[in-house]
Amino acid sequence: MRVWRSLSRYLGLYRSFLAHNLKNEMIYRANFSIALGMDIFFMSMNVVFFAILYTNVETIGGWTYDQTLILVGSVGFIREIAYLTFRQGFLELGDYVRTGRFDSMLTAPMAANAHLAFRHVSLTESLGEGLMGLLLVAYGFAHVHDAAWRNIPLYLFMLINSLVIYYAFCLIVNSAVFWLVKSQELNTLVYYFMDTARYPRDIYRGFGKAFFTFVIPSSLVATVPAGILAGRMDGSLIVLALGIAAAALTAGLLIWNWSLHHYSSASS
Amino acid sequence: MRKYWSIFWVNWQNALQYRGPTLIYLLGNILRVSVLIYLWNSIYQGQGHLATYTLPDLITYYLLQLVINSLVLSYVSWEIVDQIREGAFSNFLIRPINYLHYWFMVNLSTKLFEGALILVVGGILSFVLMDYLSAPTHVMSLVLFVLSLLLGGILAFEFDFAIGLLAFWLVQANAFKYMLQYMIFFFAGALLPLDLFPKAFQTVAQALPFRYLVFFPIQIFLEKEPDPERGLAVALIWGIVLYLFLQYVLRRGIRQYEAVGQ
Repeated sequence: MRVWRSLSRYLGLYRSFLAHNLKNEMIYRANFSIALGMDIFFMSMNVVFFAILYTNVETIGGWTYDQTLILVGSVGFIREIAYLTFRQGFLELGDYVRTGRFDSMLTAPMAANAHLAFRHVSLTESLGEGLMGLLLVAYGFAHVHDAAWRNIPLYLFMLINSLVIYYAFCLIVNSAVFWLVKSQELNTLVYYFMDTARYPRDIYRGFGKAFFTFVIPSSLVATVPAGILAGRMDGSLIVLALGIAAAALTAGLLIWNWSLHHYSSASS
Repeated sequence: MRKYWSIFWVNWQNALQYRGPTLIYLLGNILRVSVLIYLWNSIYQGQGHLATYTLPDLITYYLLQLVINSLVLSYVSWEIVDQIREGAFSNFLIRPINYLHYWFMVNLSTKLFEGALILVVGGILSFVLMDYLSAPTHVMSLVLFVLSLLLGGILAFEFDFAIGLLAFWLVQANAFKYMLQYMIFFFAGALLPLDLFPKAFQTVAQALPFRYLVFFPIQIFLEKEPDPERGLAVALIWGIVLYLFLQYVLRRGIRQYEAVGQ
């Protein structure tokens, strides 16, 4: 009962933050079209990368070109949902910590990580990536042999699971901000985490496979959901991804809450 | 000249102060490159083949790309855009230093600092991967390689500085900056070796000067470049022409400058 009440309270908070930020974004229309153009440009470059590779090879780790497009599209899709829920706050975290403005997040009547996440939720920051991602997923799905419509709910569910892994990784990496007082490089690391997620997990062998599963779980983030739509569904991999998400989130929250004690509240 | 060396040392101290973040940044880059090495390995295990490259060639390519990214490629436009947009540029108008030379020294010290770190990391990595690497057979290739890195570093700085100067004319310079930087990255051969591109793309990439940043030095190292001396000469000419052009654009920019917020 208490969990439910707290959940609905946070949902309400999220809604008002979202409404507030949407109004803000509406004012800067020019920014919106530039962001959209930029996203489409970068997504296209990702596609160009694979298109060039696939003129030289038939498959990569067993994945065909169409299947890979689902993979690339899923990464874009996950990034957009991340901007709609938590990503922007981490990019600003370094500034908050350096200037001491992080104080206000600690004193507000909600968890600091939730406040940080919701403060600048953005629909438009990554919308181009999301939309183009959706198109790529749809295109790939239409061209894959064993595509099955009934798998779509499971795909969406595993996308959310990947979002949890992404969030947990953000939390763990950004916890270091209280020592470094700078978050730009930390978020470059997070950027590469998602950037490398668009290569199929099947390319890894031995040590690399373990490393990119248990230490930096980027090999699960896109491969597991995309595999479901690409006709490469793997039950044991889904269970593994669910387990990693739960473990990473628990670890992330513990590390983050412990790191908060190192916040020195500059200039206030 | 002494004032420029003090700029060099001030920035060096600054870089030392932020060595933690720099190391993390390098870590991210190592992550990116090691994933690519797994990608090539997987392709070659599956009997795939990319143009004239052997697997050791490709692994060497990306390891060198990692080093070049820190030692050669320039990322100062980020701060230049901020300085021009937010008015901090005004401080430079009253100082007896040339803005281009100032940033050249800052960039030089940043690159040497990052380069020293990446050479340690690259050294360890190449020791681990020793059996999977290609090495040049002639000493001359190494000499030409070092020269090409030097010229590549100068050109990379000049392109990046040019992107920074866009802020004089464009309010939204940042968005274009990312796209232009990525185009340079792409046509430099940082993402994929240029000779894997489709023919039409290759012709364009060969004509553009960006190949001298990444692709050209690595080709010399792999001894795949047919005429390195000629390439070095062309890169040098590009460097001089760009230098003169940038000084001109800088003068035009200062006339355009509005000193926002000052």
